[in-house]
Amino acid sequence: MRAPDDTEIKAGQTLLSVEGVSLSFGGVKAIRNVSFDIKKGEIRAIIGPNGAGKTSMLNQITFKGVKRKKMRPHDAATGGIARTFQNVALFKSMTTLDNIMAGRTLRMNKNLFWQLLRFGPAEREEIEHRRKVEEIIDFLEIQHIRRVPVGRLPYGLQKRVELGRALAMEPELLLLDEPMAGMNLEEKEDMCRYVIDVNNHYGTTIALIEHDMGVVMDLANRVVVLDYGQKIADGTPDEVKANKAVIDAYLGVAH
Amino acid sequence: MAKAAIDKSVDTFPKFLLVNAATRGSRPAIREKDLGIWQTWNWAQVKDEVKALALGLKELGIEPGDKVAIVGSNKPRLYWSMAATQSIGGIPVPVYQDAVADEMSYVLSHAGAKIAIVENQEQVDKVLSISDQLPSITHVIYDEPRGLRDYDHTRLKWLNEVQEIGRKAMPAKYPGDAWEKIIAAGKGSDIAVILYTSGTTGKPKGVMLTYDSVVVSSQNANAFDNLTEKEEVIAYLPMAWVGDHIFSYAQSYVAGYTVNCPESPETIIEDRREIGTSYAFAPPRVYENLLTLTMVRMEDAGRVKRAMFHYFLKHARTWGEKILNKEPVPFGARLKYWLGELLVYGPMKNRYGFTNIRVAYTAGEAIGPEIFRYYRSLGINLKQLYGQTEAAVYITAQPDGEIYADTVGKPSPDVEIKIEPNGEVLFRSPGVFAGYYKDPEKTAETKTPDGWVKSGDAGFFDPKTGHLKIIDRAKDVGKLNDGTLFAPKYIENKLKFYPNIKEAVALGDKRDYVTVMLNIDLVSVGSWAERNNVIYGSYQELAAHPRVYQMLSKHVDEVNKTLSEEGPMAGAQIKRFLILHKELDADDGELTRTQKVRRGFITERYGPLASGLYDGAKEVGITTELTFEDGRKGNISARVKIEDMKRHAPAVPMDKAA
Repeated sequence: MRAPDDTEIKAGQTLLSVEGVSLSFGGVKAIRNVSFDIKKGEIRAIIGPNGAGKTSMLNQITFKGVKRKKMRPHDAATGGIARTFQNVALFKSMTTLDNIMAGRTLRMNKNLFWQLLRFGPAEREEIEHRRKVEEIIDFLEIQHIRRVPVGRLPYGLQKRVELGRALAMEPELLLLDEPMAGMNLEEKEDMCRYVIDVNNHYGTTIALIEHDMGVVMDLANRVVVLDYGQKIADGTPDEVKANKAVIDAYLGVAH
Repeated sequence: MAKAAIDKSVDTFPKFLLVNAATRGSRPAIREKDLGIWQTWNWAQVKDEVKALALGLKELGIEPGDKVAIVGSNKPRLYWSMAATQSIGGIPVPVYQDAVADEMSYVLSHAGAKIAIVENQEQVDKVLSISDQLPSITHVIYDEPRGLRDYDHTRLKWLNEVQEIGRKAMPAKYPGDAWEKIIAAGKGSDIAVILYTSGTTGKPKGVMLTYDSVVVSSQNANAFDNLTEKEEVIAYLPMAWVGDHIFSYAQSYVAGYTVNCPESPETIIEDRREIGTSYAFAPPRVYENLLTLTMVRMEDAGRVKRAMFHYFLKHARTWGEKILNKEPVPFGARLKYWLGELLVYGPMKNRYGFTNIRVAYTAGEAIGPEIFRYYRSLGINLKQLYGQTEAAVYITAQPDGEIYADTVGKPSPDVEIKIEPNGEVLFRSPGVFAGYYKDPEKTAETKTPDGWVKSGDAGFFDPKTGHLKIIDRAKDVGKLNDGTLFAPKYIENKLKFYPNIKEAVALGDKRDYVTVMLNIDLVSVGSWAERNNVIYGSYQELAAHPRVYQMLSKHVDEVNKTLSEEGPMAGAQIKRFLILHKELDADDGELTRTQKVRRGFITERYGPLASGLYDGAKEVGITTELTFEDGRKGNISARVKIEDMKRHAPAVPMDKAA
């Protein structure tokens, strides 16, 4: 697969569309009537100031034209969506290898009986999955921490392992919720490279929530900007950068 | 190997490859850990791979005498590139993979490389960024395709494609044993490889080595330590370094032993442990780092384990070396050593990947006697050797059973050595280099018409043992204003033997007294800081901490004490010292690529500090420019304290005259 360039994306097939979504928590209107789409093969960023409703937005999506009232995690996963979380959500006492292996659970076909036997077809299946996992470990350059319990790893590496687990599901759409939060410059640069590589190498469509403007402008093909639960802009990084509403939202404006 | 008659007609490495493929085709030649599994190629497979690559290169236009640059970390396919180039008469030029673009540009254009075979995207980017300065390069070939798919492929090729080109051309253009015939046309007197020296002084020089000299050196080395096809080594040192070239390529082809390539630079210790190397070669800092890591980890271990570790280590210090040297040892001590082997030494060696070790060498720099004895006391046959690129490594080596921490051994087989009146060591052997590439002037300066090569090192033969002792670079040995002999490296090495001190730079030539600039070791001092509740935010802050100064001041004082007991050296005691605010780094030109300090450059770069050391200042302010890994530049400012030391009275005053 190959990542499409910008013109192809404009014309491209819509992978996911969000239409008129609203969400309230009691009296708080977290999202008000937001619509946007994600096209196949692009890196789509969702940005906005704190509390703009970005993460809430991620939790409310239709996928492949199928509408759901609520996105149940299991449905999302079988439907081809994988995600990472704002706060790392790994199994802390398991090794990197086991964590990523866990991402393959849905792809295992043999039933529990066969898996317990670890014999014949189940063994072959396990070997095949292990090979995929090793490819991801190689891809993310984390060979040296293969056998280390992730709880002992520095934060930046944990984020990378989490990305690895999401990749292990071979998703069509990858949702990254602030993949660079709390990282130093070097870790951020590394992570950017991996995000681009994932998009490039596996052709995975990526939806990205991020605070770091530099990162977003470099990575994303298109950006949607939220503020107080409303969409205030949608377009290429350059268009968004020049948008007055966006500048006001970020820098504040005299009322 | 040692006893077997050496077949003189096998005189190039491609020929050795054919012999290995024919006589031990199913034995493992090279392994690489990939996707978590050790992948193995036997000699017959290596021959096929090399053949396809060689013919591919020939199709891309490599003629006899053409240079092929090889840039990357130790990967099977890069080693094959070396053999493939040699098989069609080309000359491989391995380049340090961590060289920045400027340094690489110099080497590639000086060598006039026609094709560059590189490891990955990082190296491709580097070569492409300087491609306008390199008109001679026609193709860039890469091993690892990741991230390179969208690059312009007019001059860029994946190594597999090149092999495919070779395989396609085989039936029509090179039928039957056409390739073998090309190999047979190679002669021992041809240039086998050009190795660029790291350039302690000025621009790197291209050392040309013939097949004859590399083959003889390898055969002698294999015979010296009885190396057979059963050895396992791990290749992790830069391919551009002569040590790796001889050890992971030449000696392997000659003896037929197995070379193992690690998965990534971070996994070497783990990989070495899985392989269990039987023959090892490393600069002292590798052994130092292993020991530092052990000691730091032991500090964190449980009390019982720690007590056991220290108890048996003490026993090993007393008896271990004697047992290794096969000296008579009382039965009780042997029994206790055996128990220690079971509980401590064995598991430690397993950790280091030295369980099966037969011979381990250290070279390149002096090794701390404590470190040296530590490994030997565990039963690891660690020995020292002295070598140079110009000699195809081997000049002297320590024979089994004759091991001294402060010597580099006896002349290697076929090597003659003489010492000039000024202390410089000269050597002559079949292994000496043919000359510097495109530099007859430098060649004439270094190599006399009758074959003696000036090593540039000062040394002497120890009358007691008959072993050579190296004290310093000949040109670096200077004098203080009062005429006292000043050997900076000798002093620096004494300091660097402390785990807390990573680098030291001694000043004193044509000055009134000796001073030093120190670099702390962040692992070791950082761990100390953690245990002692010393809080710091950066290297700079830790380096300037008063308690760190206090600790290092103790080390410097101890060095002064030993210097005071060494007759002629007593006058060269350290009078003042400071701790540098940044780590010395090869990217800033302060260290060479092999991590040796460039004293002159440092003195200039830290000019205010150097003059502060001599004008009595207590504190000096300085701003230094530094280069980040991606090539950007930044500044770092600091106020650096200077500490005064007290002088020890010479312990043996009558020796001072000598």
